[in-house]
Amino acid sequence: MKKVFIYVGGFVLLLFLFWLSLEIGILQLHRSIFSLIGKHDVDATTVWQVRFPRALGAVIIGAGLGVAGSVAQGIFRNPLAEPTLIGLSSGATLGTIALIASGTSVYGTRSNIASAVLASGLTALLVQWLAPGKGFGFLLTGIAVSAILTSCAGLLISMSFKPGIQSITFWNFGSLTLLNNVTVGMIAPYIEVGVIISFLVSRKLDIYSLGESSSHYMGVNPKRLRLYAIIGLAFLIGASVSAVGSIAFIGLLVPHIVRLMIGPAHRKMLSLSALVGAIVLLLADLLARTLFKPNEIPLGLLTSLLGAPALIILLRIRRASWISHD
Amino acid sequence: MIEINSISFSRGGHQLYSQFTEKLEIGESVLLTGPNGSGKSTLIGLIGGLLKPDSGVIRINEKRVTDLSASEQASLRSIAPQRRTFTLAFTVGEVLEFLPRKRRIKDNSYLFAQLGVLDLLEKKVTELSIGQQERVSLALALSQRVDYYLLDEPFSAQDSDSSGRILEIISELKKEKGVLVISHNQDAFSNSFDRVISLV
Repeated sequence: MKKVFIYVGGFVLLLFLFWLSLEIGILQLHRSIFSLIGKHDVDATTVWQVRFPRALGAVIIGAGLGVAGSVAQGIFRNPLAEPTLIGLSSGATLGTIALIASGTSVYGTRSNIASAVLASGLTALLVQWLAPGKGFGFLLTGIAVSAILTSCAGLLISMSFKPGIQSITFWNFGSLTLLNNVTVGMIAPYIEVGVIISFLVSRKLDIYSLGESSSHYMGVNPKRLRLYAIIGLAFLIGASVSAVGSIAFIGLLVPHIVRLMIGPAHRKMLSLSALVGAIVLLLADLLARTLFKPNEIPLGLLTSLLGAPALIILLRIRRASWISHD
Repeated sequence: MIEINSISFSRGGHQLYSQFTEKLEIGESVLLTGPNGSGKSTLIGLIGGLLKPDSGVIRINEKRVTDLSASEQASLRSIAPQRRTFTLAFTVGEVLEFLPRKRRIKDNSYLFAQLGVLDLLEKKVTELSIGQQERVSLALALSQRVDYYLLDEPFSAQDSDSSGRILEIISELKKEKGVLVISHNQDAFSNSFDRVISLV
């Protein structure tokens, strides 16, 4: 019963925020958005060509980031294993802009998304290979690799004059400003694939939480599971970073909120993580573009500003929810 | 039958097994004892496919362990390791449903009652005592549908009452299955098993 209430409540909230995202913006609408369906004037163009893809993109990417956070914390058995912390996002950033800087591809194309996915996955494998263990050693390795890749990305940007490469601020803090109907349509299938892979490994993630040897004894090959999970993560993170840069804290915060609501079972967690992730990103983007109208706050700045304190509070409430054995 | 055929295994320059041969058949319960460091848990690691013998072969139902995938191995034998790390706050009920239904025994009521986990189903596994966690871990291992059960120190955190009930489960279980139990405490339990293997 509690579960039904959470899902229904969440869905209503999501719809409300979606409607709000279409309604509010720099341009004041003169009519209700429903009367704009099928129209082609300024109001209609603003709503359907600008605000709609941005809101839809926020839902899809937010859902993907939420799922990615849950999978990452599960597979690296670390409550802090967030895609931006462990190098997945910076790998994707470098993969994206390396292609743009070299002139091989431009922002928002299929090859660009694919290279982000590939670079993201390879970075995760590299971090795992370099890391001395699963606990702090792993996190620190991720942070170090992340810093290197982000710097490389910054260097490439400073050296390149290619149009559409964006500033390093865009990639580091994330922004949904560039989303249009074409980009959203392009990344959606990648995120879908990532979500499907995540659901396929979810039950095994529960077993894997008992440890490497227990997991092997119960029939789950830890190496193979990690590989599948990393592929899923690469699709989720690669696709979203290639379109909107790396948005911090959603992947870290959402799983903790979700675990608080329905417990740690990954299958249940993933669907709620998608819903909560979508709500959080939609809300964050709405605030980012309306709080100081007509100026827009970088999205990642806002998610960090709101997410980090929320995380600290959550961790204090739920000290017992994740026992560390490292 | 689990067949250990003249295996050798050394770790850290220390020869734990040399040409070691043993077997576990369906219908018997075997107690494996020995002092700390004599390689009791290592043997479970070897049978369980986590470690590979330097030489020799281990077969379960005539299949070489090293040829089987993790899930194929898990369909033949079940292992309760010495300690499980419960890191996430699952309820006991959730933990006991980790494996898909088709890989679990049909009727677990006797098992769960005997292990005293029925009252714990709603409790968070991370908030249990060590002894309770150990019994949940045993319940998880013994509710798997396999031919052989390997239990590593199942009595270590149990009082004599629960130990007695676990021994009852084992003598019930061995009618149709093979059971290998590790304990460093030979004197207390040797009478309850068909056979004792002592490592030195």
